[in-house]
Amino acid sequence: MTHLVVNNIERHFGSVKALQGVSFDVHEGEFFCLLGASSAGKTTTLRAIAGLEELSQGSVEFAGEDLTESPVQGRGMSMIFQTFALYPHLSVHANLAYPLVRDGVPRKEIKQRVAEVAELLRVTHTLKRKPSTLSGGEQQRVAIGRAIVRRPKLLLLDEPLTNLDAKLRHDMRAEFKRLHRELGMTMLYATPDQLEALTMGQRIALIRDGKIVESGTPRELYSAPSNTFVASMVGSPVINLINGKISTQGDQNSLQMPFGEVPIATQRFNMSINSGDELTLGVRPNDIHISSDTPAEFNADMSVSGRVHLTEPLGDVTILDIDVSGSLLKLVLPEEKATSYSPGQDIELSFQLSDAHLFMTETGVRVN
Amino acid sequence: MASTTRSNGGLWARLTAPKNRGPLLVAPAIIVLFVMNIFPLLWSFGLSFFNYRANRLKVPEFVGFKNFERVLTDEKIWDRFQTTAIIVASSVTLQLIIGFALAMLFAKHFPMRRIIMMLVLTPMMLSFVSVGVFFKLYYEPTFGLLSYFINFFTTEPFVLLSSSTGALAGIVIADAWMWSPFVMLLVLAGLVSVPKYLYEAAEIDRVSPWRRFITITFPYIKSLLLLAILFRTIETFKIFDIIYIITEGGPGSSTESIAVNIYRMAFQNFRTSRSGALAYIILFIVIVLTNLYLYSVNRRAAEEDL
Repeated sequence: MTHLVVNNIERHFGSVKALQGVSFDVHEGEFFCLLGASSAGKTTTLRAIAGLEELSQGSVEFAGEDLTESPVQGRGMSMIFQTFALYPHLSVHANLAYPLVRDGVPRKEIKQRVAEVAELLRVTHTLKRKPSTLSGGEQQRVAIGRAIVRRPKLLLLDEPLTNLDAKLRHDMRAEFKRLHRELGMTMLYATPDQLEALTMGQRIALIRDGKIVESGTPRELYSAPSNTFVASMVGSPVINLINGKISTQGDQNSLQMPFGEVPIATQRFNMSINSGDELTLGVRPNDIHISSDTPAEFNADMSVSGRVHLTEPLGDVTILDIDVSGSLLKLVLPEEKATSYSPGQDIELSFQLSDAHLFMTETGVRVN
Repeated sequence: MASTTRSNGGLWARLTAPKNRGPLLVAPAIIVLFVMNIFPLLWSFGLSFFNYRANRLKVPEFVGFKNFERVLTDEKIWDRFQTTAIIVASSVTLQLIIGFALAMLFAKHFPMRRIIMMLVLTPMMLSFVSVGVFFKLYYEPTFGLLSYFINFFTTEPFVLLSSSTGALAGIVIADAWMWSPFVMLLVLAGLVSVPKYLYEAAEIDRVSPWRRFITITFPYIKSLLLLAILFRTIETFKIFDIIYIITEGGPGSSTESIAVNIYRMAFQNFRTSRSGALAYIILFIVIVLTNLYLYSVNRRAAEEDL
């Protein structure tokens, strides 16, 4: 069931157009991620949904009701701010109880619900303290607690992990998934981190320059990105993109790449391709293998030779940068296999054409 | 090098040696301060234990604590203290209310805000004498603005300063008019220091305006408000100029503050020693208040370090 409908919203600050027609919808109980670089319009979108920003155009519907004109208080949503925005002069307990007072919840029940939430988020030991004496992770959890204590129908999260260190971020990702499962509320999560979006989001919308570029499940965005922007935003390490030119010989089209010729079947493309058109070939680092060591069921129909340019050990895996006729290809190898390679060494790589993504170079749009 | 300077140079050379230059530069100010402030202060403290009168040639006699005793047991003095207390309490309260309201107003953004704020701040920058003269003319029964407007409603001539309550009100209004902007400045500093995201969070949490004020805004202005109260209490406690110009303490003695009383005692009745004793009692009270003030300043600093 559709729960939240954001319909073509625009927000202008003077001549700056922060949002230029953002539309998406979120299903009930869904964990929906809004992924985009900083100043792409994520925060403004969330604030517009919460009612903190006035819309220049468009509408926001929630649970079948048009909320465009209704005040912040009447929207039944909670929001977690990037800065946490805890009330500095109130104790943690008072912070958590804060949203409940308006509802006229009896004192006893407030106490009980605060205790429950504190238990759920493991901040019971901090209840009597002031927020400024808490660690970053604890402050974050109190901010979450304050947002969920009144059981909102929709929870808006504005980059809640950006101010935390890497270890804590990892723990909190799991925490959010657990909370979403246990509470079953709809969550709209804005993040600049594709890893957060991929691991937590049931669906993701990519936003750039105040416009939604594409939305879909993590699987869809990863395996069939609709353009080069989506392809490079989703997935880590970043997809290899190499430019080439179409040449036609009789019926056979092929792509002239710096490292050689790639035969392609243009008849299955969703637009007509002519000789001389420039295309971009995209291959994910995980889809490239070393020719001497390909997995079973791997049907390598393309192989290139290059030289190791750089190795980036990441612990369990290592990223190899391979110089292939002047362009760099990245591939991921398990640590134990990567140790035998060092910069300057010659190497033979292979990948399957079925794993390759093809885009128009000029527009970035996917063609296959 | 230093040793040659010392052995060869005379007094002047020694005075102007690099390490003595700092004290030398400060010396004139210290000397003036001592002659004009510290010496008279100590001398008058000594005098308060004698029966000195500035208009008599008689050699003063030592009387011990008699002056302090007489001052503290004088009902008239207690009455002046009471008058001062009434003026302080009502004027500071009025200043707080008006200053607070103005601060709430100027915390918002509206057209011409800067210019209007500048106008509102003007009274604070005027001298006491001009404010006093201004209000004296304003209250003037025959051509004053106040009487002029009141005469639209009644034919009887209106003389604000003729009754003791009216005169007190006149003093309080003049003082509050002058110093409300000061309270406003302090409160405004507190108001603008509240982070905007807290208000947004409060909006999301659906908090009533009153509760939002108590839990979010007030903690930020609390300590500044305390400073304003203390500062204004100390200052108003010493109120003299405005009263002396507007009412000269009258009608009767109904607006005679303790400072006006000291002035009268010292320079009209020439009971120099006794007025010195009273002045030292007031100095003691002000020192106590000032320490309270410093204590609260330190507490605010400690709070901000958190």
